[in-house]
This record gives sequence, structure tokens and C-alpha cells, in this order.
Amino acid sequence: MKIKVIALNTFKEAIRDRILYLLFFFAAVALVFSRVLAVLTVGDRVKIIKDVGLASISLFGVLMAIMIGTGLVYKEIDKKTIYTLLSKPIQRWQFLLGKFFGLVLTLFIMTLAMSLIFLVIVLLHTGRLESRMLLAILFIFIELILITAVAILFSCFSTPILSSIFSLSFYLIGHLSWGLETLIQKTRPGTSRIVLRGLSAVLPDLENFNFKTEIVHGLAIDPRFYLYSAVYGLVYTLFILTLAVLIFKKRDFV
Amino acid sequence: MTMVLEVDNLAKAFTPGFIPKKREILKGISFSVAAGEIFGYLGPNGAGKTTTLKCILGLIFPDRGKIEIFGHPHLSMKGREQLGYLPENPYFYDYLTGAEFLDFYARLFGLKKRDKEDKIAGLLRLVGMEKACDLQLRKFSRGMLQRIGLAQALINDPTLLFLDEPLGGLDPLGRKELRDIIVRLKQEGKTIFLCSHILQDIEMICDRVAIIVGGRVISQGSLRDLISEKVLYTEITLSGIDPALLADLGEPVSTHDDRILLKVFQEDNIGNLMALVHEKKGKIHSLIPRTETLEDIFVEMVKQG
Amino acid sequence: MIRTSGLRKGSATVALVALMFLFCAGIVSLKLAVERIPRKKIPGASIIYIPSGKYLKFATFGYSSLIADLVYIWAIQYYTTYTIVDRFQNLEHIFSIIAELDPRYTDPYEIGALIAVTEAKDLGLAYKIMDLGLAKNPDQWIFPFEAGHFAQRAGDFETARKYYEKTKNIPGAPDIARRLYAAAGFNVSDLKESWETWLEVYNTAADERTKKIAGKHLYQVKSAADINLLKEAVRRFRERYRRLPAGLDELVGFGIVSALPRDLDGKDYIYNAKTGEITPPSIWWKR
Repeated sequence: MKIKVIALNTFKEAIRDRILYLLFFFAAVALVFSRVLAVLTVGDRVKIIKDVGLASISLFGVLMAIMIGTGLVYKEIDKKTIYTLLSKPIQRWQFLLGKFFGLVLTLFIMTLAMSLIFLVIVLLHTGRLESRMLLAILFIFIELILITAVAILFSCFSTPILSSIFSLSFYLIGHLSWGLETLIQKTRPGTSRIVLRGLSAVLPDLENFNFKTEIVHGLAIDPRFYLYSAVYGLVYTLFILTLAVLIFKKRDFV
Repeated sequence: MTMVLEVDNLAKAFTPGFIPKKREILKGISFSVAAGEIFGYLGPNGAGKTTTLKCILGLIFPDRGKIEIFGHPHLSMKGREQLGYLPENPYFYDYLTGAEFLDFYARLFGLKKRDKEDKIAGLLRLVGMEKACDLQLRKFSRGMLQRIGLAQALINDPTLLFLDEPLGGLDPLGRKELRDIIVRLKQEGKTIFLCSHILQDIEMICDRVAIIVGGRVISQGSLRDLISEKVLYTEITLSGIDPALLADLGEPVSTHDDRILLKVFQEDNIGNLMALVHEKKGKIHSLIPRTETLEDIFVEMVKQG
Repeated sequence: MIRTSGLRKGSATVALVALMFLFCAGIVSLKLAVERIPRKKIPGASIIYIPSGKYLKFATFGYSSLIADLVYIWAIQYYTTYTIVDRFQNLEHIFSIIAELDPRYTDPYEIGALIAVTEAKDLGLAYKIMDLGLAKNPDQWIFPFEAGHFAQRAGDFETARKYYEKTKNIPGAPDIARRLYAAAGFNVSDLKESWETWLEVYNTAADERTKKIAGKHLYQVKSAADINLLKEAVRRFRERYRRLPAGLDELVGFGIVSALPRDLDGKDYIYNAKTGEITPPSIWWKR
């Protein structure tokens, strides 16, 4: 119940943030621009529109998650609004979860809005409502949830600028999983290989949520893979949130 | 007498930055606050007042020591249900209106809808903020923030109220109103823990005080015990007398036109002086005995500490 | 007193605004001047220096198909910039990058091969690209089909036969692949045959994409046939009148041809009166 109160309040705060609308504006511009770009290609024009569309939703969604998420907890500490809050009978983890859910709700609304524009643009071009795109967007959203948790984690102990850099690094490392695979194959069997394998298991594999290419090409995907990805996202998010609660629990607010 | 707040041997050190050197802020603080009293917590800047308060409220974790609120460990939820806290220089979510702000805190405490609305209306009336209930907090003046902050601290009808510099930044009328509110809250049976610099206000409303200097409580007790009724000196303003004659009667403080302000330390000299004035046909304008104030004690203690 | 200081303030504003316009004009004229200077490369050409598509993939952080799209669009502009004379040096490299980034993107394979055959005149490269496309997309019968077509046009019937065999074995391939496989045994290679082949593909096309590809080939065949006709007409004109015609309508005016052929879109062919060259109005693979 207390989590819900904080979540709704966080949602109210985030939805008023101008950064959100700036990023949304750019996303809308990119989506419309995709139609212009499509004119320059030879062959399949819809592919360009779909690729740019999904990439925009993904990129701007991640930027929103990072830019707002990294300020969420930090602002409360810096502006000292957290004092009156934590002196009340509310556990610190409830506060943190409330912040998390508030931002997730905000991102859900934003993703929905961007998806609508995207589907309309695709509809205008092909005359068909490509609902399969929503599947790709769903997994983009799962990735966003994970990134939000990471941003909040860093927000607990770091300034917004550093937190943004860390969160962005997390995102980039998460997408380099192919590189790591290649590196493992090229390394001779031995300690370095074992270390790399260990890293590959623990580091986030954000490519798990990347179904953009497959869905745009209309390729079939094993449903087990979808299930696995969703669960992986959920578990990793819980891991990050638990870490955040641990760090936040024993923090002195000087 | 039941102790609502007991602090025992509280210690806290900080390590600023990456340097491993520790800086001790609190070096073993102990005091207790009884039910239904207004307790003043005083000290110079940097003595550790706010740190103590944050330890009690669970915002900082002390290295050593025990804190109990209503007999419960201070971090337990049971203890915290009965607390109210107004921080120094309060800053709240500036995009909320006054009413929304109080509503948020009310919901955190799980107040039912109807109780909530009555409570909020009542509190706004109490702190004189009814007209501002639809104004965004970002547009509040410092004094207004202080008042709405007090309203927030009272949202759950707490029996123990912590106020950190509540009278700072208020104009004289505001200070008087707030002092009256605090006294009224005491009459309703609440206990109030007050951190303040403004010694005149402390003197006016507190029952007991503790003075903290350099991380230690150097004095604790009821105000009356602390301040003796002894007269330090008497200030006399007179005119029409040759200053040379006054040399061994008292200490001149200032001269303005014909008037001289004297500090007379010995009681006998007052009689002598009056006789002199009468003899020389001079005039006494005022005669004020100065007793020890809290400020005197405070300054003395800080100097010693 | 007040009026003059106000005047000074006002004139300061006017001066600043005038200065701004001056700078603006400067910027615009500089840009126009720079544009007139011929450039060796077009912007974005640094893509050429990327060692391999494999490594570029790592730098795309999950957006590889988008980057593939962008590189492809850039490549199209690059290969239609005729002022860059050595642009075919990197044809294989660039299209292999695109293939690495998004192996299932079929358009670049086709267009890459078409550029290789018709503009770079590098048949080997065209085969290479089509083979790569087939390897990554075993269900696309159009790749070996087009490769066979290139081989046939070049007169290499052995290779054509091999490709048509591959084509007919892919499920979904049109019937004509079988016939072409058979016919490749004979020395048949003329524009009429090409025209009929592609017309059949066009009419029996199962999807929009195949139809489009067939349409492109039809355009090419017709314009090749028309240009041959016009070239022959120009030659006869020159023989008779000892000069090049000033324009194509002179051919009609002097009775060399009864009417001017038009391309598949109904547009006129472009004639260069100085050199006598005739070119089609559209780049056939870009339609």
C-alpha cells in the first residue's frame, strides 16, 4: 500500500519532467523521418520504416529510463525531501520499490504513446496493422524495466552524471555479448577462457531482448526463447533491485 | 514520569571523502525527554544537534549507543508511528499543491478518506495556510514552507514531535504564532523536542534543556535550575552628574548628550549613586537589574567547552 | 536627454541586426561557393575504411539492422554519384559489410550484384554476391535465378546452366527455371528471350517483390533493345549526312525511323549531341 503511494507520487513527478517530452518529441520526429528516409532506398521501403521505428522506441526509451531514473533517488537525497519521508514508518525498501514502479509506469505510458505513433505510420504505409511489431516492443519494454532498475541502483549512491555514465555503460556492455562470444571462441582453452566464460554468464546479455531484426524480417522464433528472455529479464531486474535495497539500507543521510 | 525518548551514550564518527581519518561528531550523548514537556536542544554550529536528531530518526546509523522511543527500539515501526518531524530549511516536492502534499503524507500513514480530508482541513487551519491549499509548493515563501512543514509533521497526530530550527526565517509575528502553536500542542499532551539557536524563544517556552558542545552534552536540566535568579549588575541611566564623580561607583557604558549609562555591580553602590544624584540635583532616567539569561550561560559554557 | 539615449540604444539594436544579416549572407554564399568545388568523395565515405563487417556489428549495440539500412541507403547514393570515378573499388567490401550486419536483408544482395554487372562490369563479383545471398538465405530462388540470367547475357552458358539448376531445386521457384535450365544447353541468348523470360516471371509473380524485380529487368531489356535501335539509326544518319544528328527527333524528321521508341515508363531516351551517346532516362535498377 505504501509502495503504491510512493509509486503514484513518483509517476506524478516523472510525468512532469520536461526531459521526457523532449525525448518523446525526438522520437516522434525520428518516426516521421523514417518515411523520408525510406524514399531513398531501393527495394523494400517498409523495412526502413520498421527498423527506424523500433530503433527509436528502443533508443529513446533507454534514454528516458536513464535520464529520469538516475535523478530519482539522488534528487530526494540532495534536496533533502527524503528526510520527512524516511522518518515516517516506511521501510527503506518500500520507498525504493515505490520509486521503481513509479518510473516503470511512466515508461509504460511513454512506450505506449510511441508505439501508437509507430503503428500508425506503418499502417499509413502498408495499409496493414502490423501487430507483430508489438511483440518486439514488448521485449524492448522488458529491457527498459531492467535499465530502470540499474539507473535507480546507481542513483542510490552516485550523482546523476556519473549514474548516467554507469547506466549507459551497462547498456553498451549488455549489447556486446556477441563480441564476448567471439572472443571466447578465439581464446585458447585455459584460465583466460574460463574467466571470460564466467564473465559472459554474469554480465547482462541484453541481446536476449532484441527481437527487432527477426520480427521485421518476419522470421519465426521458438516460443521457448520468448519465455526464457522474459524470465531472464525479470530475474535480473530482481537481482539489481535487491542490490539497490542492500546499498540503500545502511546509508547515512548526512 | 515516563520517558518518551531515551538516548544513551550515542556516538558517531564520519570519514569525510576517501581519507581514512575518522572525524568524531558525537562522542557519547546521553539525555532523556519526559512525556508532556517541551525539551530544548541547544548548541553552537557544528556541535552535533542535527546529527543527534538524524540518529534518533533513523536517517543516520550511530556507531554506538542506544535510543528508545516510547520504550521501543528507535528503528522499529511501532516507535515511528507516533513521531512527527519538521526538518531545518524544509524543502518538499515543489510541483505539489499544499493540499496534495498533505494528502500524500496522509496516504502514507494509511488514513481513511474521510478522516484524511478533515485532518488536512484542520491542519491547514491550524498553521494558517487555508488560502494556500491550491498553490504549488514551489511558490511558497520560506515562512509558508515552515508552516506547511509543521502541518505535515502533525498529520498523524504524533505524541512526540521533533522540530529542527522551526522558528528560523520567520518574521516576528510568525514566530509568535508558531510559539503559541507549540505551547498549545504541549497543552494537548504532546511532547516536543526542539532544536534551536534562538535562545530567547527557548527561554520562553522550554521546560528542560540540554546543551551540546563539541559532540558532548555539557549541561542538562530544567531551565529554572539552570538560570539562577541572581542579579548580575544593574544598568542605570542618569544625567546632570560630572562623570569624574561616578568613577568608583560604576562602569560607564556609553554617553549620549548629557545622559550616561552605567553598569553598577555592587548593590551598595546603587544606594550611594542615588544619594549622589539627589545631592547634585541630577536625574535618573532608568534603573534595570540584569539577571542571568540563557544566552549568558550558553556563551559561558561554549567558551569553557 | 532621454530621447537621444533612446536613439543610441535603438541604433545599437539596428546595427546588431544588420551585422547578423551580414554574417548570414556570408554563410550562405560561402556554402554555395563550396558546393561548386568538385569533391572526390561524398560525406560518409569513411565507411570504406572499416576493416570488416564482423567488427562493425559489435559497434552497433543491438541496432545492426538499422545500421545495415543506413549503410545501404548511403551506398545507393554513393554508387550513383558518377563524379567519383573509382567508386567500384570498394563495391565488394561495402556490400559484404551490409551482409554481415543483416544477412537476411535481401535487397542489398540484388542491387550489389546488379551494380557489379552493369556498372562495374565485374561479373565475378556479381556471382560472388549472389552466392553469398543464397548461402545466407537458402529460400530465395531469385538469387541464383538472376545469377543465371547474368551468365546467359554474358554468353557463359555453362555457368548459367549451373545456376538454373540450383534455382529449380528451391521450392517455390517458377516453372520457367526448368525451361531455362534446359535451354541453357543451347546457344540461345538474345534480348527477345530475356524479355519473354522476365515477362513470364512478372505475370506469374507470387509476391510484390518478385514482380518489382521482374519489372526492373523488363525495363533494362527494353531500353537495351531501344538503345540498340537508336544507335543503329544514328549510325545510318551519320553515314548519310556526315554529321551527328542534333537531336533524336531529327532521326524522325529525316525519315531514318518512323517514330521514336520510348522507355517502359513512356519517357524519352536521352541523347548527347556531342558524343552521339544514348542513355535511358532512369537507372533501371533504381526504379
